[in-house]
Amino acid sequence: MTAVADPVQSSRAWRLRLAATPYALLLPALLALAAVSLYPIFYGVRASFHKYRYGLDMGSAGKQNYTDIYHDPVFWQAMKTTAKFVVIAVPIETLLGLLLALLVARELRFASWIRVALILPMTIAPVVVGVIWRLIYASDIGIVNPLFSHLGLGTPDVLAHYHGAFFGLVVLDTWEWTPLLFLIILAGLHSIPQDPLEAAQVDGATRLQTFFHHTLPLLMPVLLVAVTLRTIDAVGTFDQIFVLTGGGPGTSTQLISIYSYNTAFQFTQYGQAMAMLVTLLAFLLLLMIAAVQFIRRNSRAAA
Amino acid sequence: MSDTPVTTADPFERPLTRREVIKRGAVGTVIVFGSTIAFAPKRAAAASTASSITIGTFQDNALSPIRDYFNGLFTKETGIKVRYHETSYNAWYQNAKNDGLNKTGAYDIYIMDDNWVPEFAAGHIIQSLDKLGFKVNPDILPKGVEQGLWPPKHGAKMKAFANAKPELYAIVNIDDVEILYYNKEYFPHAPQTWDDIYRVGKAKFKPKKLYGWSARGVKGNPIVQTYLPLMSSYGANFVNADWTPGFAGPAGVAALERLFSFIPFMPPGVAEFDTSQEVPVLLQGKCTALTEYTGTVHVIDDPKQSKVVGKINTAATPKQERHGPAIGTFICGVASGSKNPQGAIQYLEWFTSSRIQKQFARRGGSAAVTGSALHDPVAVKKYRWLPAIADAVNTSIPKPRTPDEPKMEDILGTALNEALIEAISKKQGYHAIAQKHLSSAATQITKYLKQQGGYF
Repeated sequence: MTAVADPVQSSRAWRLRLAATPYALLLPALLALAAVSLYPIFYGVRASFHKYRYGLDMGSAGKQNYTDIYHDPVFWQAMKTTAKFVVIAVPIETLLGLLLALLVARELRFASWIRVALILPMTIAPVVVGVIWRLIYASDIGIVNPLFSHLGLGTPDVLAHYHGAFFGLVVLDTWEWTPLLFLIILAGLHSIPQDPLEAAQVDGATRLQTFFHHTLPLLMPVLLVAVTLRTIDAVGTFDQIFVLTGGGPGTSTQLISIYSYNTAFQFTQYGQAMAMLVTLLAFLLLLMIAAVQFIRRNSRAAA
Repeated sequence: MSDTPVTTADPFERPLTRREVIKRGAVGTVIVFGSTIAFAPKRAAAASTASSITIGTFQDNALSPIRDYFNGLFTKETGIKVRYHETSYNAWYQNAKNDGLNKTGAYDIYIMDDNWVPEFAAGHIIQSLDKLGFKVNPDILPKGVEQGLWPPKHGAKMKAFANAKPELYAIVNIDDVEILYYNKEYFPHAPQTWDDIYRVGKAKFKPKKLYGWSARGVKGNPIVQTYLPLMSSYGANFVNADWTPGFAGPAGVAALERLFSFIPFMPPGVAEFDTSQEVPVLLQGKCTALTEYTGTVHVIDDPKQSKVVGKINTAATPKQERHGPAIGTFICGVASGSKNPQGAIQYLEWFTSSRIQKQFARRGGSAAVTGSALHDPVAVKKYRWLPAIADAVNTSIPKPRTPDEPKMEDILGTALNEALIEAISKKQGYHAIAQKHLSSAATQITKYLKQQGGYF
């Protein structure tokens, strides 16, 4: 005798299966994501609560690593230097990127060539950029000292002074990353609807008025995204500094990336290094949440 | 041209069924994993066998003769094949550490910087050579041998190892040490004291044409290497036997003041100088003297790099109260996971034997590790710097032997760099500047060691 399936139960099971299928299909991707993306973060956070000695994991250190870095003046100095670097470099790059984008967005004769030339620095590997600028600034074989000397300004010995090295780094970063902002802003400019701008011109608005009252507000969401991305990237600047100054003179160019690298790989304090990076991540998350809120509010206002 | 419409039977056009997705996914997975498994035996084959050893190292010109000649000679004499893997310094430090901690067996011998020994020995990343039955050639200079002991024979010891008997964990293979390079046009004889160098430097200095002294001033290890021979010769210690920093006292301050006294006669921008900037000043004939490690001996007579061929002589770094060259040897340990430790021991005993060391010294004037090689008349006739290397090693003073030495060096190196920059900018008040920065470094180091534990 064969059993007859209950049609109600069968239908419910079918619906359940149907509802579960997408999640089941997503599961491998989620597991892969967890393995490659979330696990390293989890492992890093775990390491920040462990003590390492002689290259070995000596077990839990509780919150000691966080206490140690909280009382480490060099850590706070590195955080301060990182903030100073970002606050100076990113606005300069944004402003220059905006100006260049406005210039190139116009139908100039050699616009495409200018665009290619402008994005070249961004395509060079950061380590190579560091080497190039090291050669430019070097007090013995560089070109900055002879140039300044020729102009009667003395020899600045850029990398031998705190401010010189720091601003030398800002100049390098500006040279390398302005093109990124330029590209994003240029794309944003091309996507702006032309009707409001033409209407403003018909109404007799000057170019400046059109820019400040129409172009800039319409461009603002793109600008904010560009600045946010660049800020995250600038906080992690490493290669160029590693090659250019190694964080010196003194601690004048020691960003948190350099200090945490040294803490991990020179001083073999992996736990402390991870505590530094987790702290930095927390700061960055707060900053990003604020930025996203700002972008959302701005988009709503624009709408 | 065919007008036949593409039917849904065409596998590239119709949507895939769930069954097909799973089947193709499975095939893809098998291909990906299968290919990685297929490559695995090659990796396993790279590990050593009884008739081969694998050496891992950082790239350095001083090691080139080993790579290019001596490994082949060892194979010829013993039948044991040598695999030699080079990478950059930082990458090799991490590779070696990971390899030793995980006992992968990929390497038999690590060539290391001597300041890795405390960490690698305490962390059992390398094996005790004593326990492996390594026989030390008595001809090897004792100061070089001591660099491979853990815990150290002399000086401050960490509490956990205070009563442990020193064991040999690594054997020196390049006796790298800081020596004085001086231009004999300005120094008819090797200067004996720092005061001698100061007098000549001051007298001979011609702005932009001839500097009295050149130095590595960049933060971290470079400026520490500049300061150490001065500090030691003035009678100060990096750390005292109880781990208190010893450089902030009168002797250490006087040594730094002596360095500052050279400022008027040094090249501008010296605060950013590392070896690659310091040495060319000497080779261009623009500097009377400087201190550097032994790697520079290979370029002083190279006409492609030097305008002062035959004019640069060498000596142990000058003394003031005592001699104090800084020692920084290259040193070999046997990996914890070595597949052929006896082959590794055979190689190390062979390479550090007096016979091979003599050949090593004769091939390019390398910094051999045995006394007989460094004083070998045939080698010395061709390479005049070899006895200076022996003198410097014999009078050298090692850095603190602890895994925390890099951090201590970073703190001191940052403070010294800041002090140098301040002294260059103020051009006076050297004593107060030296005192302030050295005291600050001493406080930071003490705080760090207390934080780490195991010292006080």
